[in-house]
Amino acid sequence: MMIKSLFTKQGSLLLLLLLPFMVTAQSLHITGQIVDSKGTPLPGVSITEKGTINGVATDINGSFKLSVKGEGAILVCSQVGSQTLEVTVTGQQPLHIVMESSQTDLNEVVVIGYGVQRKGDLTGALSSVKAKDFQDQPVTSVAQVLQGRASGVDVVTNSGAPGGDVSIRIRGDNSIQGDNNPLYVIDGFVGADYTTINPQDIESIEVLKDASAVAIYGSRGANGVVLITTKKGKAGATAVSFTAKVSSASVLKKLDLLDAADYAATVNANAAATGTSAIFSPQQIAQFQVNGGTNWQNLVFRTTPTEEYQLNISGGQEKTTYLIGANYLDQNGILNNSFLKRYALRSNTASKVSDKFSIEFNFYATRLDGTNLNGNLGRQSPVTQAIAWAPTTPERDAFGNYTLNDPVGSISNNPVALETDQDQRTVNTTLNGILDMKYEFVKGLSLMVTGGVNYMNSQGMGYAGPSVSQGSPSATRSSLEGISLQQTDNLTYDNTFNGVHHLTVTAVYEVQSYYANGFSGSAFNLTYPNLQYYNLALASSYGLGTTYTNYGLESLLGRINYAYNDKYLVTFSVRRDGSSKFSTGDQYSVFPSLGLGWKLSDEKFIKKLNLFDNLKLRASYGWTGNQAINPYQTLTTYSNVTTSFTSGTVTPGLVLGNPGNPQLKWETTRQADAGLDATFLQGHLSFSADYYNKRTSNLLLPVTVPDYLGGGSILSNVGKIANTGWDFSLTGDLITGRFKWTTSLNFSLLNNKVISLANGQNMMFTGSDVGSGLSTQSEFVLMPGKPLGEYWGLTYLGTWKPDQATQAALYGNKPGDSRYLDLNGDHLINGSDYHAMGNGLPKYSYGWNNDFSYQRFTLNVFVEALTGYDKLDYSYGAGITANSDIRQATIAAIQNRYIPGVNETSNIPAFSTTNQSYIQSTRFLESGDFARVKNIALAYHFPKELLKKLDASVFVSATNYFTITHYKGFDPETNSVTSAPGGDVNQGIDYGSYPNAKTLTVGLTAKF
Amino acid sequence: MKKILLPLLVTLLFNGCTKTLQQNPKGQLTGNSAINTLPGLQAAVLGAYEPLKNGYTSGFASSAVVAVLMGSDDLTTHPASNKQDFRQMDQFDVTNTNGRTPVIWLGCYKSIFNLNNIINNYKSTAGPVTSVNQLAGEAYFLRAFSYFWLVRLFNNIPLVTTSTYNSSLLSITKSPATAIYKLIENDLQQAQQLLPFNKPAPGRPNAGSAMALLAEVYLMEGGYPINDQSKYTLAAATAQSVINNKALYGFALVPDLSTLWSGTSTAINTPEAEFEFEFDAAAGNPNSVYGKSPTPGDEGGWDDYFCEINFFNNFPAGPRKDATFHTTFITGNGMIPWQDGQTRHPYYQKFRVNTPVPNYLTSATSMSLVLLRYAQTLLTFAEAQTRATGAVSSDAYAAVNAIRVRAGLPPLSGLSVTDFENAVVQERAWEFAGEYTRWFDLVRLQLVESANANKNPGDLQPINGITKADYFLPIPFVDIQINPNLN
Repeated sequence: MMIKSLFTKQGSLLLLLLLPFMVTAQSLHITGQIVDSKGTPLPGVSITEKGTINGVATDINGSFKLSVKGEGAILVCSQVGSQTLEVTVTGQQPLHIVMESSQTDLNEVVVIGYGVQRKGDLTGALSSVKAKDFQDQPVTSVAQVLQGRASGVDVVTNSGAPGGDVSIRIRGDNSIQGDNNPLYVIDGFVGADYTTINPQDIESIEVLKDASAVAIYGSRGANGVVLITTKKGKAGATAVSFTAKVSSASVLKKLDLLDAADYAATVNANAAATGTSAIFSPQQIAQFQVNGGTNWQNLVFRTTPTEEYQLNISGGQEKTTYLIGANYLDQNGILNNSFLKRYALRSNTASKVSDKFSIEFNFYATRLDGTNLNGNLGRQSPVTQAIAWAPTTPERDAFGNYTLNDPVGSISNNPVALETDQDQRTVNTTLNGILDMKYEFVKGLSLMVTGGVNYMNSQGMGYAGPSVSQGSPSATRSSLEGISLQQTDNLTYDNTFNGVHHLTVTAVYEVQSYYANGFSGSAFNLTYPNLQYYNLALASSYGLGTTYTNYGLESLLGRINYAYNDKYLVTFSVRRDGSSKFSTGDQYSVFPSLGLGWKLSDEKFIKKLNLFDNLKLRASYGWTGNQAINPYQTLTTYSNVTTSFTSGTVTPGLVLGNPGNPQLKWETTRQADAGLDATFLQGHLSFSADYYNKRTSNLLLPVTVPDYLGGGSILSNVGKIANTGWDFSLTGDLITGRFKWTTSLNFSLLNNKVISLANGQNMMFTGSDVGSGLSTQSEFVLMPGKPLGEYWGLTYLGTWKPDQATQAALYGNKPGDSRYLDLNGDHLINGSDYHAMGNGLPKYSYGWNNDFSYQRFTLNVFVEALTGYDKLDYSYGAGITANSDIRQATIAAIQNRYIPGVNETSNIPAFSTTNQSYIQSTRFLESGDFARVKNIALAYHFPKELLKKLDASVFVSATNYFTITHYKGFDPETNSVTSAPGGDVNQGIDYGSYPNAKTLTVGLTAKF
Repeated sequence: MKKILLPLLVTLLFNGCTKTLQQNPKGQLTGNSAINTLPGLQAAVLGAYEPLKNGYTSGFASSAVVAVLMGSDDLTTHPASNKQDFRQMDQFDVTNTNGRTPVIWLGCYKSIFNLNNIINNYKSTAGPVTSVNQLAGEAYFLRAFSYFWLVRLFNNIPLVTTSTYNSSLLSITKSPATAIYKLIENDLQQAQQLLPFNKPAPGRPNAGSAMALLAEVYLMEGGYPINDQSKYTLAAATAQSVINNKALYGFALVPDLSTLWSGTSTAINTPEAEFEFEFDAAAGNPNSVYGKSPTPGDEGGWDDYFCEINFFNNFPAGPRKDATFHTTFITGNGMIPWQDGQTRHPYYQKFRVNTPVPNYLTSATSMSLVLLRYAQTLLTFAEAQTRATGAVSSDAYAAVNAIRVRAGLPPLSGLSVTDFENAVVQERAWEFAGEYTRWFDLVRLQLVESANANKNPGDLQPINGITKADYFLPIPFVDIQINPNLN
C-alpha cells in the first residue's frame, strides 16, 4: 500500500528529477586534477565555485573540467569526510590540487546500521571490504568477496557448484536451529538475499560484529550484520567502464581409484575370501588389462569455460547522479550439465531536490538460472556414484543406452546418467527497489522515510529421465512468489555543541512483512519423456502441492552516539522487536547495547610518544536475538502425505506433523567485546584486535522426538552456548616507492562450547541424513563442555592381529577384522560404545592478501587457510568398504588391506564374513586443515597515451591452484551439508560433495 | 513543493501495518478440527498407511521387513557385499545400531501415533455413523497390525495410546508383552465389529481381515513367550469363523500358485489376500521388497535375501517349489544353475517382477506386499484346533490338505496329534517360504535353535551361539539414547 501511494506521486517525482538539469552558462573553462599526498588521483571530489551552485566532481582519474566566472574565482573542493579545501583560480592550467589525505582514513564515513558514522568515532567492531580489494579478481559472488578478506568472518564453500551453497559465519555459530547466517542489509533493505547481488555492483561491505554495532538490528543481529553499499554515480563527465572475463575451470584433483583389471582381481579376492564364486574370469581380467575399463571420474568431470561481462555507465550533475550497471555471467560447473546464468541490472539514482529534500532510489533486478547445482546431495551425487560404479562396467550398453545397472559395484544410478538424464533447474528472479526520502528540517535534524520492496519469483523445473528413475520418468514444476515489504522512518539529529560535544541521536520505527505463495505439480510416468517438464498433463498420475507463509516484524529503536572532543566516545542503542513467529505474550523483546571508545592518540601523553597516528580502545556489551525460525512452529499442524491404493492413482492423506511448542521464546545472545585499533608510520601500518565473548541462551534446537512417538522433532529452547574468540587484522605497506608491496593479514580464533542443556540433560543428538544408508545413528552430539559439531561414533583401533585371535573371538571376529574400542567392556560393539570423537567446526581461520605493484603491473596473491577441525570422510568410507549402496571397494588403497598370511600389519580390514565396518568411526575421521592459494592475479594497466582516451587494463588470474592438505577427498573445504538453519552443527561431512574448481581467468577492463 | 512533500512524508511515517504481528497460517491444518469431518477423518486414516509403506524410510516397503526375520531357516543373505545389517540378523549378532530395525520400528510407531489420534477422537467426527465407524474400525485394525509386528519382534515395548506429544512420554518404560497383546486383542475385536464385510479398496481391511489377524494373534499367544495355551481355542474358533464366512468376506484360495506369484497385476488384490499393502511405483510409492532386492547379482540384482540351502533341498518338489524358487539364472554368459551363481544359493521366484516385461529389473515395483493370506488362516485353524483339543478333526485335515493339494502334494491322513502338528508347522514353512511367517513360528514354538543347528556349510553360521535373548531384537539405540528407561 505504501508503494502504491508513492507512485501516485509519480508525476511530481519525475519533475523533481528533471530540475537539476537546468544549469546556467559560464565563461572561463578550466581543467585540473586532484590527487592525495601520495599522488594517487582522487575521484568523486566535489568542486563548486564559491558563492554559486555551479559545480562538478572529479572523474575516475581525479580530473575535472569546469566553467567559472573568470580568474580569481574560488573553487571549494570537498569530499565526504575530509577537510574542505579552497583554491583560487589563476591563469595557470591545468590546476594541480593536492588534498591532504593522511587523516582521511579516520574521517572516512562508514555505513553503520540506520546511519553513517566517521570511522574514527566508531565504538563497535567492524571489518570492511572495499571494491578495490577485489577489483582484478575473478569473484562472482558476495561470498567470494568476503572469503578471507574480513577478519572474524568464516566463509566455507559447502558446494563448489556455480552459485553453490556457502556458509558465511561471523564470529562462529550462535545457534543450532536458528539461522546462523548473518543479516544482510543492502542499501538499507534489511534481510536481503545476498546471492542476488552482483559483486561488481559493490562499493563497500561493512561487517558489523560486536553488540555495539549489531544490537541496533535487535532480533536479527545475533549472527552479525553485513552491510552492502552499492556503487553510486558521481557528478562529472559520464564514465563508462566495461569488463570482460573468460575463464576455464577444472576439478582440483581426482581420487586414486582401482583400474578395471585391479578392481576385477580385488572383487575376485573378496569372493574367494568369503566363500562365493569369482565374478570375473581370467579372460575378462586379461581383457581389462589390455583395453582398460571405465574411468568414471573422467566421465563426470569436465574442463569448462565461464564468461562474465559488466558494463557500467555513471555520471550526473552536482544535484543528480546516476549509475546504471549491467552484468551477464555464464558459469559452467565442472560436473557435466551443471551451469548458472546470471543476468543483473542495476540503476542507482540520487537527487537533491532542494536544499532540504533529497531522494535516492536504488533498484536492481537479478535473474539466476541454474541447472543441476545441488551437487552436495550425498548418495545420489554423480561424484559419489563415480566412486561407486565399477570400472569394469561400461558407460553404455550394446545399444548405446546408458548402462542402467552396475552388476558388481553400485546399486544406484549411472553417474553419467545422473548428470545428463536429469534436469533440476531453478530460475529465480529478484526485483528489489528501495527509495529513501530525506528531509532536513534544520541543519542536523532530518527525517528519512524509506520504503523498500523485494519481489522474488522462483520457478522450479525438474525432470528425471528413464535411466535415473527405473523406467518411470517423472517431472515437476513449481512456482513460488515471495514479497517482502519494508518501511523505515528514521529521525536523526546530529549536532556539535560548544565545539566539543558531538551528539547524534537516531530514532527509528520500522515494520517489515513477508508473504509467500506457491504451488507445485508433479507428474509420474510421463507419456512423452522427451517433453520433460513442458507437458505434465500427459502422465499416468499426478501430485499437487501448495504453500503459504507469512510473518511480520515490527520494531522501534533508538541510538545515541556521543563524542566528547572526538576523544571519548559513547554509543547507546536499544531496539524493541515484535515478531509474529511467537505466541502472544512472547512476541516482544528488547535488545539494548552500550559501546565505549577512547581515542588515546588524542591524549597528550600518547602524542608525546610520537608513535601512533591513531590509537583507540573500544569496549561494548549488548543483547541481540534470533527469530530466524520458520513461522507456525508454535502450532501443531498436520502434514500432507500421499500413498497409493489403486494402481495409477495418488491418494492424499494426512499425518500429524512435528509437535508445536507454544512456549517457544526468542534465542538471545549477549556479547561483550574489547578491541583496539592502532595506526603507525603515517598510516603505513595499521593493526586491529578484538576479543569477544558471546553467550547465547534459550538456544533453539529441534529436539528429536523418539521414533516410538512418531519421530520427527520439536523446536525447543534448550540450553546455552558460548563463543569466545579473537579477531586480528594487520595491514602494512611493507615496501613503498616504485615497487610497492602492501600486505594484510587477518586471523580469527574461535572457541565454541555448549555450556548447558535443558533439564540438566548431558547429551542431545542431531543427524545430517547425508549418510542415509551409511549410518543410521545420529552423527553429532551436543554435550556440555564440547563444541557444536561434535562427531558421535566409534573409535577404530585398527585390525585384530594374529596374536589377538582369542580376544577377537569374544566379539565374533577373527584376525584381519575391524577392531573397535569397547567402551563398556561387554564384548559387544553397539550404541553404548559410541562417544564424542572429533569436531567439524574450524577453530582458526586465516586470510593473507598481498598487493604488489611495479610501474604498470600489479600482482595480487591471496592465501586462505582453515585449521583445527576434522572431517568425516564418507566418500572415502563409502569407496573402501562394502556398504548399503556400494558392494565393492573402488579406492586403490584396498590393495593394501590385511591379507591373512600375506599382509598382517595392515589396518585396512580383510575381506571376511565376520568383519563389521562402521563408517561413523575414527577410521574415516580426517583432519580438514588446509591452506590454499585462493588467487594469484596479475594485472597490467595500459598507459593512457597509448590508447588515447581509453583507460584499460588486462589481468590474468589463477584460482585454487595450490592447496596444502592431508585430506584424502577431493576438497577439504566442501561438504555435504548446507548453510540452512540446522546445517551448521552438521558441518564437516563430505559425501560426494561438489568439489571446488581450479580456475584460470583472463580479463579486460576499459574505462572512458 | 514543500506543501506536497511534508504531508507525503508524514503519511508514510504512520503507514505501519496494524496486522503485522498476527500469525496467519493459511493452508495449515491444526488441532482436532482436521478430523471433525468425514473427508478429514478419511484423509487421516489413509495418511496413517503412509508410515507403513514409506520407501526405505519406514515400514514394510523395503527389504527391512525381510532383514528383521532373517534368523529363520528360509532366509539368508550375501556373505560379503553390502549386507552387514542383514548378516547381523542371519548370524544372531544383531547390534542396537543395526540399520534395518528402526525402519520397522518407526513405521509401526509413527502409524500408531496417528491412529491413536483417530481412535481417541473419531467420536466427534460429524457424518453418517456407519461411515465414521468403518474408518474407526480401519484405524483399530492398523494399530493392532502395527503393535502385533512390534511385540513379536521386540517383545516388551513402550505402550503408547496417546496422540498428544508431552515431554513426560520421553521417560516412559517398556510395557510387558501381555499388556500389548491385550490392546491388540481389544483393537481387533473393535475392528471386527466396526469394519464392513467388503474391502473399501484394495489394500484396505474388511471385518474378515480383522478376524484373520486376530486368529494369528491368538495362535502366537499360545506359544512363546506368552505361553497361554487357552488362546489356541480362541485361535481355532476365530480362524474357523473366517473360513465359515469366507464368501461373505470374499476370501478364497487362488487355484493356481503361478497366478499368485506371477509378478504381474494378476497377483495384486487376489481373493486370497486377507490383508496386503498396495503400491504404485509410478506414483512415487514403490514396493522395494520385490524386484532387485531378491534378484541374484548374476542377473544384476542386489542379493539382499534368498533361501538357505538345506531349506531348499528339503522343500518337496512340485508346482509349489517351481513357483517359489528361481534356480536358473539368466546371465550375460547364458543360463547357469544356482550352484554356479556368485552366492551359490537358490533365490526366490515369488518376489520377482514381470512387468512390463518378464524378469524386468527394477527396485521400484508396483507389486502388492501380501501380509496375510487365506491359506494362512486355513493352516492356523488346523494347528490351533489340534493344539486346543488334542485331537485332529476332519476339518483340520481338510484345511491343511487344501494347501497340499494345490502344492501338488499328497493329502495328509492318519497322523498322530504330534505328527499332525509338526506337519502343519512344516507346511506353513513351505507355503509361506520367504513370507514373514516362518520366523514367528520358530519363535512361538521355540524352534530357533534347532532350525539353525545343522546349517549347510555353504550358509552363514551363527556367531557365538543362540540364546533366548536372540529371539527378540534390541530396541533401536536412537530411541534408547533419548529415553534410557527403554534399555
